[in-house]
Amino acid sequence: MKRDRLLLVLYLAALVAVTLVHDPLALALGLLGLLLLAGRSAPRLLHRSLRVILVFNLAVSLGYALLAHLRGFSPWETLLLLNLRVLFLTLLTFLFISRVNLFSALDFSPTLSWLLALAYSQALSFQRAHADFRLALASRCLERPRLIDRYRASAAAAAWFMDRALATARDSALALRARGFFDA
Amino acid sequence: MHIPDGFLSPQTYLPAYALAAGLWWVAARRLRSQLDAERLPWLAAVTALAFVLMMLALPLPGGSSVHAAGIALLAVNFGIWTSFMAVSLVLAMQALLFGVGGVTALAVNALALGLAGSAAAGLAWRIFQPIHAGLALILAGWASVVVPAAIIAVVLGIQPVIAHDPTGRPLFFPFGLSVTLPALLIPHALLGLGEGLLTWLGTLTLERLRLRHVA
Amino acid sequence: MLELTGITHRYDGCVALADIHLRVNPGEKVVLLGANGSGKSTLLKIVAGLITPSGGQYRYKGEPIDPQRLKDRALCRRFRREVALLFQNPDAMLFNPTVFDEIAFGPRQLALADVDARVRHWAGVMGLSDRLERLPFNLSGGEKQKLALAALLAVEPEVLLLDEPAAALDPRTTGWLIDFLAELPVTLITTTHNLSLAPELGSRALVLGEDHRLIHDGPIEPFLSDTDRLRAANLVHSHRHRHGAIVHRHDHVHDWD
Repeated sequence: MKRDRLLLVLYLAALVAVTLVHDPLALALGLLGLLLLAGRSAPRLLHRSLRVILVFNLAVSLGYALLAHLRGFSPWETLLLLNLRVLFLTLLTFLFISRVNLFSALDFSPTLSWLLALAYSQALSFQRAHADFRLALASRCLERPRLIDRYRASAAAAAWFMDRALATARDSALALRARGFFDA
Repeated sequence: MHIPDGFLSPQTYLPAYALAAGLWWVAARRLRSQLDAERLPWLAAVTALAFVLMMLALPLPGGSSVHAAGIALLAVNFGIWTSFMAVSLVLAMQALLFGVGGVTALAVNALALGLAGSAAAGLAWRIFQPIHAGLALILAGWASVVVPAAIIAVVLGIQPVIAHDPTGRPLFFPFGLSVTLPALLIPHALLGLGEGLLTWLGTLTLERLRLRHVA
Repeated sequence: MLELTGITHRYDGCVALADIHLRVNPGEKVVLLGANGSGKSTLLKIVAGLITPSGGQYRYKGEPIDPQRLKDRALCRRFRREVALLFQNPDAMLFNPTVFDEIAFGPRQLALADVDARVRHWAGVMGLSDRLERLPFNLSGGEKQKLALAALLAVEPEVLLLDEPAAALDPRTTGWLIDFLAELPVTLITTTHNLSLAPELGSRALVLGEDHRLIHDGPIEPFLSDTDRLRAANLVHSHRHRHGAIVHRHDHVHDWD
């Protein structure tokens, strides 16, 4: 099997396996193993993982600690287990993303791989444009923008994205037709 | 509003994957049966649109904002199955390429947001459209937020029941339905109003734009 | 007026700018050259105080500037009025319901007394006088570019940063823009990857190389005749040519886009 596809299968298997482990110590050791596997990129991946999970995990953890306090039981083992597992799964995913080319892992289905690549490249350019819309509003506002201006800016961005999506769909359909993609 | 990794038990996400896989297959069939020059690039473009609509902020007074979802907009204008596929692809992209959102939870999220959200929107639109088009779009937007929130609240809320250790301690999401239902439904019932307005205005805009882009 | 010392920037671990040192004096007209992806837009956004560089310092009129410092309202008000950035995609800048409101957006924030006259003046300069009631979204690409420029100029900035301003313009409008900018009493930084346009936009060139470093800062003419450095900056390419029976290879500029 190809390297990328093998790693995809291993990654998915590891995800499922980790959700079958309910021992905080084992998860902590596994996490250590992941960090060693990540090598030099470990601090960066750990930082990104923590940033992604911070808000949701903090909300759940604080809520659960409060509930435990009110009902008079100890929340620590559950909280340790939950947070370690979430961190492990997130770090594993970032490690996977940094090491594996998903498109090559999925090329057993050319249609799926092609569709994902097309959607991804358009999504990336939309993401950059979205950042520009935000910065452009900031650069034109001498004060904090008023609510009405923020609405108008959001609406203008939405309309632009819809227009671009329609135009891109039409253009790539024409391009495909010109290459005989639909004749088969 | 989607579930991250690590809070759903395998007893939940594995059957969800099986169900979603079947429905993805059905959706792919349905799209393929309409295979014309537009379909695939069309789906890619709608996916990219869904992706960016989820990033757009609905501004709130005081400088903060909430994120719109745009699912009803997609469902009403491009059909329930296209919307389901586009939302599923967005969730897959976010999970496997950007590293946000869950991979194990992907199927549950796709079913709740992509399928149930789109279907609720499509249904609301179809029922109320004869009465008043604007009202129908607002209700479609509202339903596309509230129905997935209810499903996610239930899926999370049953975790302590289906996955706990012998002493009764939860192994995954630790709150029951009495917490998840109000915590998710009350804010989303309000957010749904904003989403409803967005669906209405977005559809008006899309209809006008489509006239420019007849291939 | 502008001073960058050791500016470095990374996106997600990828280097966009590396160790940039530069000074721009009041009234200078500078051209920022570089291949696509060399970091030109990023540099302009740092100078416009929109993104915080990963390293180094940027000073405007001696004052350190970054998004954090611009939370100071007085500083923000002064800086945003004096430094204006024209985005490469003018659509990003246009969000008002009419062309008139778009141009009036800046002057209204300053509560200027002559908003109406200013709008009509700049609309006239940009040839948009008969478009004032139109929705900006429905203008042509070139018109949007001119509208965005009018909206910036209506508050009379001291520093104007233009990101690929000629990209959406037809040749006639490009010619007009060059003449217009030459007369404009502002400090100007214009980016382009178009070599034949570059000498028209300023006499001093800054060139970003593919390694995201500043590989040239000085008069533009000697740089444009230095083929090795042009090739290093990926601003020219070489390919085979066929003239009748003779095939040869030489360096080439493709700059019609």
